[in-house]
Amino acid sequence: MNFPLSFWDISLWLAFTAIILLITSEIISPFYGKTKILINKKRLRNVALVMGIIFLITMVIRIYGIITSI
Amino acid sequence: MLKTRKEMPTQVSHKKRTFLYKINSTKIVSLFLLSLGSIALTFSIIYASSVLAFIGLGLVFWGAITLYITPEKYVKQILLDSTIIPSLTNLNLILTELGYQGKAIYLPPKYLKDFETSKVYISKDKNTSLPTPEQIQEYENRLLVRNTQGISQGILLTPPGTRLMKLFEKTLKTSFTKMNLEHLQQKLPKLFIEDLEIAEDLEIQIINSSVQSIQIKNNSISIRITNSIYKDIHKEAEKLSHICCTIGCPICSAIACAMVKTIGKPITIERTQTSEDGKVIEAYYEIIDEN
Repeated sequence: MNFPLSFWDISLWLAFTAIILLITSEIISPFYGKTKILINKKRLRNVALVMGIIFLITMVIRIYGIITSI
Repeated sequence: MLKTRKEMPTQVSHKKRTFLYKINSTKIVSLFLLSLGSIALTFSIIYASSVLAFIGLGLVFWGAITLYITPEKYVKQILLDSTIIPSLTNLNLILTELGYQGKAIYLPPKYLKDFETSKVYISKDKNTSLPTPEQIQEYENRLLVRNTQGISQGILLTPPGTRLMKLFEKTLKTSFTKMNLEHLQQKLPKLFIEDLEIAEDLEIQIINSSVQSIQIKNNSISIRITNSIYKDIHKEAEKLSHICCTIGCPICSAIACAMVKTIGKPITIERTQTSEDGKVIEAYYEIIDEN
């Protein structure tokens, strides 16, 4: 009954998601043809940045692990 | 009894409608994604499946994202235009009928008892000097400013951009009275472009500038607003003689209210002009030297 994803898997997933969200938040248009789905561009960008920062934290943890293991 | 029986279904259907309104389609989708993702994550732990874990993680993430990024309520711009223009037309009509010919002067906080409000003064005749702060304060909560003989010499109005200026202050989390002109020059473009998304670009230029942080010696300020959401209102306001070149459209008025609080001197909107395609609005403000 363990969670099947490792720390490294989550880190990779975070990297992909952060990139996708950042690109989306930058290219998304503020004017919408149809207003059924409304997106707050600023919040989307904030989420993307938070995901990116979390990914960087995982990277720091990983590097720290490599350095201390030597 | 009959009356209560009749009212009951109406109340129930109203509540149902309110509930459906509150939980709109986007929320339903995001809640569905969240629950499906949670189920997938639970099964991934039970069956130790990484594929299910990725699916679950993705679904939970997108469910949470859609819930977080969609709470803003948008209205069509045409509604904004239709709501504001009639009140501007009425204001123009009132000023024309009453025969107030003076230039609208935006009053700084020292002219008012309540520092948070904004008022604009229009004199009865052209080229009349501005009354003293004490005189204005006496008539602050009234419409007409009277002289010692009781004859009306001017009118005190709440400018059309007051609430918008309050919104600027609320968004900036500060009062314009605490800023100087350089600060305003830096803060307003970001507020217009990024925070409130009112316009694509805003430039503030101080003409004949010799600003030394607090002591302002310049007497004219120009602004250039590109592709503002108020461009149609401004175009309509140009047809109204008392609005366009005196009080100003809501956006020009809001900027005037902000400037007057920052500078602490009376301001007039000298002239405004629009580009041929209507996308660029230029407004020129004149700072009145009281001495």
